[in-house]
Amino acid sequence: MNTPTNSRRGFVNCLLGGGFGAMVVSVLYPVVRYIIPPKSGEPTIANVTLPWKPNEIRVNSGRIFRFGNQPGILVKTPAGELRAFNAVCTHLNCTVQYREEKQDIWCACHNGVYDLNGKNVSGPPPRPLETYKAFVKGEQIVVSKGA
Amino acid sequence: MPRRWRPLPISLLAVPFLFLADQVEAQKLPEENSCLQCHQGLGDPRVMSPAEKFPQDIHGSKGIFCQDCHGGDPASLDPQQAMSRAKKFVGKPRHQAIPALCGKCHSDADYMKRFNPTLRVDQVQEYLTSVHGKRLKQGDQKAATCISCHDVHRIRAIKDQQAWTYPVKVVDTCGRCHGDPKYMAGYKIPTDVVAKYKQSVHYEALTKKGDLSAPTCNVCHGNHGATPPGVGSVANVCGTCHSVPAEFFAKSPHQQAFASMGLAPCVTCHSNHDVVKTGDEMVGTTDKAVCVTCHQADSGGFRQAAAMRASLDGLRESLTRATAVLDQAEHAGMEISQARFELRGASDALLKARAAIHLADAAAIQKLTEEGKQITAVAHAKGLKALEDLLFRHRGLWVSVGIIVLVIVGLVLKIREIDQRRHQERAADRRST
Repeated sequence: MNTPTNSRRGFVNCLLGGGFGAMVVSVLYPVVRYIIPPKSGEPTIANVTLPWKPNEIRVNSGRIFRFGNQPGILVKTPAGELRAFNAVCTHLNCTVQYREEKQDIWCACHNGVYDLNGKNVSGPPPRPLETYKAFVKGEQIVVSKGA
Repeated sequence: MPRRWRPLPISLLAVPFLFLADQVEAQKLPEENSCLQCHQGLGDPRVMSPAEKFPQDIHGSKGIFCQDCHGGDPASLDPQQAMSRAKKFVGKPRHQAIPALCGKCHSDADYMKRFNPTLRVDQVQEYLTSVHGKRLKQGDQKAATCISCHDVHRIRAIKDQQAWTYPVKVVDTCGRCHGDPKYMAGYKIPTDVVAKYKQSVHYEALTKKGDLSAPTCNVCHGNHGATPPGVGSVANVCGTCHSVPAEFFAKSPHQQAFASMGLAPCVTCHSNHDVVKTGDEMVGTTDKAVCVTCHQADSGGFRQAAAMRASLDGLRESLTRATAVLDQAEHAGMEISQARFELRGASDALLKARAAIHLADAAAIQKLTEEGKQITAVAHAKGLKALEDLLFRHRGLWVSVGIIVLVIVGLVLKIREIDQRRHQERAADRRST
C-alpha cells in the first residue's frame, strides 16, 4: 500500500540520488575543462618552437611568427643563416616584414628600414629591433630571447 | 713702452694645480708652453679663458697647440719673443678670417687623414653656401663662424656629450644667437624658434626618449651650410625621415594646389619648429582640423575631409571596442592572446590610413580602414565568445552550487526522516512492551 510516508521517502531518495549524481557531474566537468588545455595556449615568453622545418624556409626570405602576444620575424639571410627579431617596429609598433628584393627588414607604415642585424638604417625608427636567438634543434627551429 | 715680461712666481707655481681639476679628461699639455702659462696667470678673465678651456680641446690631444692657429713661439718665456711677428704671431684672428684659418687644416684631405680618414673636409666650402657664410662675406661681423658653434678653445669631438654640437645641445648652440632678440635685432627673423622647438615632438624624442636621430636645428637647416629650407625643398627635408607621408603628398591634389598658392608642404599643416604630436583631430571639419583652414563648408575638399575623418574614427572606435572586450576577457582569466595578436593588423591598418591621409583621397582611406574593421570584427567576436564562455562557466558554477545546496537540503531531510522513523520505532517498541 502506497502510504504518504512511503511517497515522501521515495521523493527524498530520488532527490538525494539525483542530486548526488548531478554533484558528481558538476564537480568533474569543470575539472575536465581545466585539465584539457585551451585551443591556443600562451607560449612561454622565454622561447617558442616554430611550426616550420628548417628546410621549409627559403634562402633570402622572412616569415612572421607569434612570440607571446607579439609578432616575431624569422629571416633566412642570403647566406643561409637563420636570424630572428621582434617584428614590432620601434617607431609606432607596426609589424615589419622582410623585403627579398632589397634584402632588408621593412616597416610599411612609415618606410622604416632595418638591416639584417636588426639595426635601424633609415626612416623614422629610433632604435634597432630586439634580437632573438634562432637555432635549429633536430628538425625544429627554436627562437628564444636573449640573443 | 712695450710691456716687459714679469715673472709671476705665484701664478706660475699655481699653474699645475689650476689644471688639476681638468686632469681626468684633459690631455697632457706640454709643460713648457708659455702661452698657457702666461694666459693662466694674467688675472684677466678675458685672456685667461683660452688657457682654462684648452685642456679639454680635442686639438691638444692631437698635438695641435696655440701656435698652430695663433703663430708665435710657445717655447719662449719672453713675451717679446713668444709673440713676435718674426715667429709669425697673428694674435686673435680677424672674425672674417676664421673659416679660412680652420680650413687651412680641415679642408686639407691629406692632412686630415692623419687624424681621422673618415672626417669630411668640405665644411668650409659648405659654410660659404650658408646664410652665415654669405653674410660674413658681406662683412657682417655678427655672422656665425666655426668658433661660434664649436666652443672656441674647447672644441670637442662631435660624439662628446659635452660638445656644443652633440645633438641634444645643438638647439642651445644655435639659440645663443637665434634665441636672443637683442643679438638678432636687425635681421628681421623670429627669435622664438628655440622656445617653439623645445615644445615640439622632435625635441621630446631627442631629449626625453633619448632618440639621437630625432631632428634638431642642423638636421633640417644643415649644419655648416645652414640655410632655411625653401618652399620647394621642405617636403624633401621632412621626407628624409617621413618618406611615406611625403610620397603620398606628392601624389595628392594638394601638391599642385600648395605650389600654386606658394604654400610650403608639411609645415603649412604641421608648423615648422613647434611640430606637435599629430592626432586624428587634425583631419576633418571641426575647429581643431587643419583642413578647414582652406576648405570652405560644403566644398568638395570639406566633404572629403569629413569622410576621411569618419573613416579614421570608425576604425579607431571599433579597435577601441575590440580591445576593451579582449581586455575584459583577459582580466577575467580567459585566453585571448591569439585574438590580441591578430588585432595588431587593425592597429597597423589605422597607422597606414593615418599616413595615407596625405593622399587626401577619402576612398583610399576608407579602403584601408575597412580592412582594419574586418580584423577588429573578428577579434571582437572572439572576445565576445570568450566572455560567453566565461558566462557559461559562471552559470555552471551557480548550477553546481544549487545542486550542492539541494543535496545538503536532501541530506538534512533524510537525516530528519531517519530520526523520526527511529523515534517512532522506539515509541512503538515501548508501547508493545
